[in-house]
Amino acid sequence: MIDWLLAGARWGEGDLVWTTDPLLVGGAALVALVAWAVALLGGWRAVRSPPLRLLESALWAVALGALVVGIAGPEIVEEDGREELGKLVVLVDGSGSMGVSDGASVRSTAAMEVLETLRGAQDPMDVYTFDETVRAGAPERFEGRGTDLGAALDVIADRHLGQELRGVVVLSDGLDRGPLRREVAAAAEQGTLSASAVPVLPGPVTFIQTGEAEALFDVSVEHVTSGGFAFLRTAVALQAEVRGPPGRAVPVTLSRDGRTVREETVTLDADGRADVEFTVIPRQVGRFAWEVSVPVEVGDAVPGNNVYPVVVRVVRERTRVLQVSGSPSYDQKFLRLFLKEDPSVDLVSFFILRTREDFRSGWQQNEMSLIEFPYQRLFTEDLSTFDLVILQNFNYRPYFSYGRDDLLLNIADYVRAGGALVMTGGDRSFDLGEYARTPISEVLPVELGVTGVKTDESPFRPKLTASGAVHPLTRLGATADETESIWQRLPAMDGTNLSLGLTPGSAALLEHPGLVTDSGPLPILAVREVAEGRTMALAVDASWRWSFSEAAEGRGNQAYLRFWKNALRWLVADPDYRRVVVFPSRENVLLGDEMRLTVRVRDAGYGPVEGAEVVGSIESPDGVRTPIALTTDAAGEGIFAYRPEMRGAHRVSVGTGNRAADRGSTVFAVSNRDPELADIQPDTTFLRQLAALYGERGRFVAPGAELDLLVDESARRSVPDRRVVSLAGAPFLALLFGGLGGLAWVIRRRNGGV
Amino acid sequence: MPHEAWSRRAVLGAMAASSLVGPDAWALGAASQVDIAELAIPGASIHRAAAWQRLLFELIQTTSVEANPETVQIAPEDPNLFAHPFTVLIGRDALPPMSDDGVEQLRRYVSYGGFLFFDDASGSRDGPFAQSVRALCRQLFPTRPMTPLPGDHSLYRAFFLLERPVGRVAVSEVLEGVTRGPVTPIVYCPNDLSGALHRGEDGRDRFPVVPNGELQRREAVKLGVNLVMYSLTSNYKHDQAHVLELMRDGKLE
Repeated sequence: MIDWLLAGARWGEGDLVWTTDPLLVGGAALVALVAWAVALLGGWRAVRSPPLRLLESALWAVALGALVVGIAGPEIVEEDGREELGKLVVLVDGSGSMGVSDGASVRSTAAMEVLETLRGAQDPMDVYTFDETVRAGAPERFEGRGTDLGAALDVIADRHLGQELRGVVVLSDGLDRGPLRREVAAAAEQGTLSASAVPVLPGPVTFIQTGEAEALFDVSVEHVTSGGFAFLRTAVALQAEVRGPPGRAVPVTLSRDGRTVREETVTLDADGRADVEFTVIPRQVGRFAWEVSVPVEVGDAVPGNNVYPVVVRVVRERTRVLQVSGSPSYDQKFLRLFLKEDPSVDLVSFFILRTREDFRSGWQQNEMSLIEFPYQRLFTEDLSTFDLVILQNFNYRPYFSYGRDDLLLNIADYVRAGGALVMTGGDRSFDLGEYARTPISEVLPVELGVTGVKTDESPFRPKLTASGAVHPLTRLGATADETESIWQRLPAMDGTNLSLGLTPGSAALLEHPGLVTDSGPLPILAVREVAEGRTMALAVDASWRWSFSEAAEGRGNQAYLRFWKNALRWLVADPDYRRVVVFPSRENVLLGDEMRLTVRVRDAGYGPVEGAEVVGSIESPDGVRTPIALTTDAAGEGIFAYRPEMRGAHRVSVGTGNRAADRGSTVFAVSNRDPELADIQPDTTFLRQLAALYGERGRFVAPGAELDLLVDESARRSVPDRRVVSLAGAPFLALLFGGLGGLAWVIRRRNGGV
Repeated sequence: MPHEAWSRRAVLGAMAASSLVGPDAWALGAASQVDIAELAIPGASIHRAAAWQRLLFELIQTTSVEANPETVQIAPEDPNLFAHPFTVLIGRDALPPMSDDGVEQLRRYVSYGGFLFFDDASGSRDGPFAQSVRALCRQLFPTRPMTPLPGDHSLYRAFFLLERPVGRVAVSEVLEGVTRGPVTPIVYCPNDLSGALHRGEDGRDRFPVVPNGELQRREAVKLGVNLVMYSLTSNYKHDQAHVLELMRDGKLE
C-alpha cells in the first residue's frame, strides 16, 4: 500500500531532488496563496461556526500545498554500482598514409582485417579513429591530413580516467605527424628517452604495425622550393627534393605549360634522397606554373606524389629603361630628370656628346671625359634586359658601324617579344634618322618614307584625337573634360617630324591641327601594339615645354610627369596595370581547400568600374572549364570562390569583352601534397620505441606476425546503476489535494457557504 | 649698365663654325636649341653677350649639342625666363634686393629644371657679389646653402676632364653650388669665367687672363663647355657605365 502511495519509491532510501525551476515553483506557490485567500474571503462570512471556518481554511492550505509540492517535481534518486570486465579500446589510424599500398596490400585494408578479427574475439570493445583528431567508431575513409598519436593516447587516458582497461590496441603505420614522434626520436638520439615521454594509460597497450617498409615502392617529388616569386630577367632556382629506393637513378623533368623545359637524372643516396636544382630566367611578368615530375612506374605506391606543381609570381623589380640620345638637348635633359627621379625606374643613359664633325675642333682625346658608345653590347646581349628603349633624336647610321642590319633587326625582334620602344622627334629621328625601310620602321606606329622636306618647323599646338581622349596614356586629368582642357592649355611645339601617317593597327592620340597625310591628319603622338610588345612615336622634340612652361604658370610640372608616367605604364604593359586583372588568394593551393579569385576592373583612366559584368572560366588540367560570372562592386572588384578538385595547374581567364585589353588571366597550382603523403615509409622504430616505453605493459606486433595482444583480464570497470522515481504523480499527493480540498468544500456547503 | 656687343668678326666665325656640323644639324625649331639667357638686374648685372656666343659656338664646334648662338637679357620676374633653361648672372658688386615675384619665379625656375650660373667678375673671393649671391640662394632654398662642389662632381667631367675651374682669374680652386637631390641647378664661379671668354668688337679677347695667360683661357673654355653640358646631362657622368669605363681608360682614379 505504501509502495503504491509513493509510486514505488523506497522509504528512507535515495536522495530527494526537486526538478522544477525554482522560479516556476515560486510562481505556483504565489498563485496557490492567492487562490487560498480568494476562496476563503468568498465564503468566509457564509460559514457560521468559527471552528469550522478555521478547519476549512486549514484543509485548503494543505490541499494547495500538496499541489505546489507536486508542481515542484520531487524525485527520489537512488544510485548504486556494479563491476564488469574492463573494455578493450582500439585506436585505428585514419590518416591518408594508411591508404598507401605496400606491394600487394593496402595498409587500411590490413588494419580493417585486424579490426574485424578483434571484433569477433574481444568484448566489450570500443573503437576510435584518430588522425589529427579522435572520433568514436572505425574509419570510413582513410583521408586524414594529419596523425597525432600522442593526442589520441591522451584522449583515451582522459576518457577512461579512474577505470581499468583490459587493453589498448593501436593500429597504425607509425607515421605520426604530431610532436610525439619527433620528441621520441630526439630523446632517443640524446639518450634521454624515458617513460615520461608517453601518456599513462589505464591498461596495457599493443602497437600493431600496418604496412611493410620493405614492400613499399614509391618514387616521389617530395618538395619544390621556389620562394613563391621571382624578378623579371633574374635567374630563379627551383629546388626539388626527390625520394625513392636508395641507389636508383631517377629522371627529373621541369616543365611549363606542358612543355619540357629541362630534364636531369639524379641518383638517390643511401637514404633514398636526392636534390636537384633547376635555374630558370623568367622573361615575362605574371604568374607562371612550373611542374617538377618523376616518371610513374608500375607498382608506385602513390602516383599522385610524382608531380609537384608550383606557381611563381614574376614581378618587375624596377622598370629598366635605356635612353639613347643623339644629342644633349632640353628634351633629353627633362626626360632624364624625370626618369632619374622616379624610384621605380632603373635608367641607363647613353648620350652622343660628340660626332665625327666635332673631331676637327682641336681638342685632344685625353682632355675629354668621353667613352665609346657600346652599341653592339647594348643592342645584342643587353637588349633583353630592358623593359623600354627610348631612341631620343638618335640616328643609328653613324654609330652602328658593324652589323647595322642585325642590330636594327634585334630591336624590332625585341619589341615583338614583349619589349617597348619609343622614338621621339628631332633632326636625327624618323626619316631624318634614315629609319625608313629598316626593321625599325616595321614596328613603329607611323609610316616612314617621306621624301623631300622631312620636318615642319612651324609652331603648333597638338590636338587630342578621339582615341587620345580615352586612352590612359594621354589622360592628364581626373575627367575627360579636364584632360581636354589641360591639353588645350599646354604650350605650342616648335615643329614636327613628318610622316606618311599611321601604320595599320596603330592609333593616333595627338594630331597636327593643320598638316595632313594621305590617311588623315599628321599623327604627332601614336601608339601601336606589335605582337607582344608596344611602341610609341612622339614626333616632336619639345615635350619638355609641357614641364617648364606649366611651371612658369605656377602649375608645377604635373602634366609632363603624368604624360610620361602614363607612357611608361602603358608601354611596359605590366599585368597589374591592365584594365582587367585577376589574381588568386594563393598561388599554390592544396586540393580541396577553398581559394578565392579576385577580379579588378578599371576604366581607360584606371578608375574602378562598378557594376562591370565579368565572365570567364577556370580551366583544370583535364580541360574541364568551370564558368565564372560576377559583377564588380564600388571598388571595381568582384570575388569568385572556388574549391579545386584536381591536382595540377589551373588557368583562369576572365573579361568584360573580347578585346585583349578587356581580358585578364592568371594561373594557380593545386597540389595534394599534404604532409601525409610526403613521407610514407612505415615507422617501425617509432612503434617499437613506444611499446618499449610502456615496459611490461607495452607490446609491438609486426606486420604479418601473430595477433598476440597484451590484455589484462583482471581489469574491471565500475558500471553505475541509477534509479529515479518521480513523486509528482504519486497517489499520496493526489489524495492530499483531492481529499482535503473536497472535504473543505463539503464543510463550506454544509454550513451555509456557497 | 656695362654691355659688350657681339662683333662682326665673331658672327663670321660663328657661321664658319656652324657649317662644320652639316646642314642637318638643327633641331626642329630654333626655340628648341640650347641658348643662354642673361639675367638682367638693373644697376647690378653685367652683360657679356659675346662671351656666351663664343661659348655656344665652341659648343657647336666641339660637341653634338645643337645651340642657338643668340643671347637674350631677361628680368627675373619675366615669365619668358622659362623659355631659356640656361641662365647666367654676371656681377661685380652686391646685388640689390630682388622683388618677391622675382625670387618666387627663380625658385620655380630652378626647382623645375632651370639652370642658374652666377659668374663673379670681381676677381676676388668672397666679395660683395659672392655674399649677395649666397644671400639670394638662402632666400631661394633656406635649407640648401651654397657649398663647394666636391672634386668628383659631374660638372668637372661633363665633357672635358677639368682639373681646376679657372676663368679670367684663378682665385678659387673650386666652384660652389646649391645641390638638390642628385643635381646642382645653381653654380657659382668666383673666377670670372665670362671675363676669359669675352671678346671685344674687334674680335680680340677683351681681358687678359691671369696668372697663366692663354693656357688658362683654354681651360676656361673647357669649363664653359662643361657648364652647358652639365646643365643638359646633370649627373650622367656619374652613371656606373661611365665611371667604370673612365676608370678603365685611366681617366679617373
